[in-house]
Amino acid sequence: MANNGQAPSAPDVIVDFLGNIMPFKELDLQLLKDVARHVRVDFFPKGTWLFTMGETEVRFLYLIQQGGVKSFLADDEGNITLKDYRGEGEYIGALGIIRGTVANMNVETVEDTFCFLLPRDIFLDLITSQPGFAQYYLKSFSEKVVSTAYTELRKHRIERRSDEDLYLFSIKVADIIGRTLRKISVGSSVQDAAKMMMRFSVGSLLLYEENEDNIVGIITDKDLRNKVVATGMDMATSVRGIMTSPVTAISSQTVCFDALIKMMSHGIHHLAVEENGKILGVITSHDVMLLQGNSPYLLFKEISTQHSFPALYSLAQKIPGVVRNLINEGAKAGNIAQMVALLNDRVLAQLLQAVEQELGRPPVPYCWLLLGCEGRKELTFKTGQENALVYADPEDECQQQAASVYFKELSERTSNHLANCGYPVAKEQVMASDSQWCQPLRVWKGNYAAWLKGETVAGVIFCGKFFDIRCGYGHEPLLEEIRTKIVKDARKYQGYLASVVDDCITRRAPLAVYRDVLVGEDGKQESLFDIKEQGLAPYISFARILALHYGVRETNTLARLTILAKEERLDSELAGKVQEACEIQMHIQLIHQLHQFEVGTLPDSFIILGKLSELEKKMLRDGFELVGELNDVLKSLAVGTLER
Amino acid sequence: MMRSLFRWLRNPDPLLVQNEERFKQLDFRLPLPDYDYVVCDTELTGLHKRKDEIISIGAVRISGLQIELCNTFHTLVRPVKLDANQATFVHRITPEQLRGAPCMEEVLPRFVEYCSGALLVGHCISLDLHFLNLAIRKNLGGILTNPCVDTMTMARLYKELAGKKGVRFASNPGSLVLDDLTTEFKLPRFKPHDALEDALQTAYLFLFLAKKLKSLGVRTLEDIRQLGRKKSEERLF
Repeated sequence: MANNGQAPSAPDVIVDFLGNIMPFKELDLQLLKDVARHVRVDFFPKGTWLFTMGETEVRFLYLIQQGGVKSFLADDEGNITLKDYRGEGEYIGALGIIRGTVANMNVETVEDTFCFLLPRDIFLDLITSQPGFAQYYLKSFSEKVVSTAYTELRKHRIERRSDEDLYLFSIKVADIIGRTLRKISVGSSVQDAAKMMMRFSVGSLLLYEENEDNIVGIITDKDLRNKVVATGMDMATSVRGIMTSPVTAISSQTVCFDALIKMMSHGIHHLAVEENGKILGVITSHDVMLLQGNSPYLLFKEISTQHSFPALYSLAQKIPGVVRNLINEGAKAGNIAQMVALLNDRVLAQLLQAVEQELGRPPVPYCWLLLGCEGRKELTFKTGQENALVYADPEDECQQQAASVYFKELSERTSNHLANCGYPVAKEQVMASDSQWCQPLRVWKGNYAAWLKGETVAGVIFCGKFFDIRCGYGHEPLLEEIRTKIVKDARKYQGYLASVVDDCITRRAPLAVYRDVLVGEDGKQESLFDIKEQGLAPYISFARILALHYGVRETNTLARLTILAKEERLDSELAGKVQEACEIQMHIQLIHQLHQFEVGTLPDSFIILGKLSELEKKMLRDGFELVGELNDVLKSLAVGTLER
Repeated sequence: MMRSLFRWLRNPDPLLVQNEERFKQLDFRLPLPDYDYVVCDTELTGLHKRKDEIISIGAVRISGLQIELCNTFHTLVRPVKLDANQATFVHRITPEQLRGAPCMEEVLPRFVEYCSGALLVGHCISLDLHFLNLAIRKNLGGILTNPCVDTMTMARLYKELAGKKGVRFASNPGSLVLDDLTTEFKLPRFKPHDALEDALQTAYLFLFLAKKLKSLGVRTLEDIRQLGRKKSEERLF
């Protein structure tokens, strides 16, 4: 405390302040203290002009300790375009200093404002010496910041349960190939293969033909057990007869999470790891499991073996627990939703199989459809059920009778079981148990044609969730037929477009996050932010409309954007920005819901802005800026200036 | 006895003489940003004007009407009487901490040097100055002659002038206590009863008042002196 002659350290206030804001918090403490010593404090009463566009030389980085500023452009006629509000913990002047130019916008205080001033030279030193600095200020959405944001989200918003450091998302599959790759010629006998597996104590062998690099298949000890020993097959048979071919392979640079997803969705336990077309080795589900304690894979396996309803109910309740683990391991919301979809689908499949057991075989093939966020694979926590059912067109009146009775019963029972699994039934939601949404294929085709013409179907007008469908269980070709019909009719009819675009544009996102409130274009302020409706909905509708218009069959928002960019329907930079904005908002929502889940309240999407970090608010703001651009794309689509 | 008498009679320390020289020609009609200021605060063993002593000094320098966070002054001072008393509960400085602190004799030359060339600012500065000058006279044979600005006077003046313009203040009408003013003007808040933090709090108040008064037409020290002169109990210059 007493400063016996030494240079005094900067007061705690500035060190604390810098230590809490990006990107200064990344500095080590000693450097932070050195920087803090150069800071001055200034006060600007409300209405002070800090910068004049094109004139003011920026001599300091202004860090707002308290108060707020607005930045705006003014044209020759004096029209003012508001660009941004900045509040506590935020900065002004960085761009001017980095570029060495005068202020590029007018800045005025909108409240009495105290600022910490960091001299230009000190700031420039940091920009050149600290790798993260320039990046932070220049690229509003650089990947580094995004990942820092995720880390921050994880660090601050979720308490870790133990000192678990798990690697599903950081370790590449190349790094977990344990044993040396063992190969045997595809012409070898089963017995030779078994001997080789024993000698090297491996559970699988790759099979080659002609030369060792030409891998044609794989056999595992399970094949030997099930296909040879159990059936009494001759030990001299060649392994060709029992191999799995071709080998499912995965790139060596894939992260283990994706390998796990691949194994689960293909129902296999071995994956060949390839690099530049060459197989490096084999990884097993066990190798991946070793990376992970409480694994979604084990839950998946457990669900797959259960047929009794009570057991499935309780297993379904474990799904949210998987979410927490995945977040801890570094999963993004998109990854998690993918995993949750696999698990939910598994539960659904087991339930439907069990219901089929009770009711007997269905009279015609059917497909259980998932709509809305489940249809987009964007659901993480269970919200209301949204599903429908399509069955193959019956051949006659008698079969039609049988089908409607059977599927009514099936969907009612299933819906109840789903409710018991924790998916609530909500009145206003679309459900297969409502006879209107449990229909033969031709009725569905008619519905979609009507919607796309802009007509209503039994009082229901074009509704986005019906266009985000996928097969939850059953006969997938039925769904594919519907999809083909949608793609065809969306091309043919344009009746839906104008009103859908209009609806999208009126839902314009708020202009800015300013301190702890949202400021709308009309100046209206709110402190509660509905991240689903105000944040994500514009991106989701945007991707849906474009996907419909350009005949993209994918339903997941991120995937739709990827395809649109790949097919050059959408500027790839814009697509990337939308994806990033989408992901960060999904992540904020996810963590919010996880928290609600853990304190026992029902997950919703209302975010209190005051609880978000300064970085999260910045990400939101950057995301909002995109919406105007998206609306412009939609508008030109609606007036038909975009080429098909 | 003789020795202390000698101290009272001796010539002022050269530091003080130098300091005094600097203010002889001071022009009070310059705008406020043209002066340097030292905002200071002291923690005391109590409020008895002759018995009590300074146990901590905190100060920050202001130039160009900006607070220089790199240039602060903060120290504990070992008093002559070293026992816990009631004030200990206020500032939470323990006798143990004070035992290890430098004595006034060591602290003062550094402080006088720190204040050199600057106007002294404080909230009810006359109180701090009384105790400081008591100690300075004893140790250095003179007093600080720096002109002083009292933020309490400025606050009263600001409230008067702003009130005439129709500005209404929400809470604590009339109070000029530092803590109440901080709330009323919605200033960033520092930890109270720490000499440096209190000095910072006062410095924030000073910046606020200086700029707010400017918008009301009060631009120079002379303006403050003229307009702020009201009661004799507050020392202004």
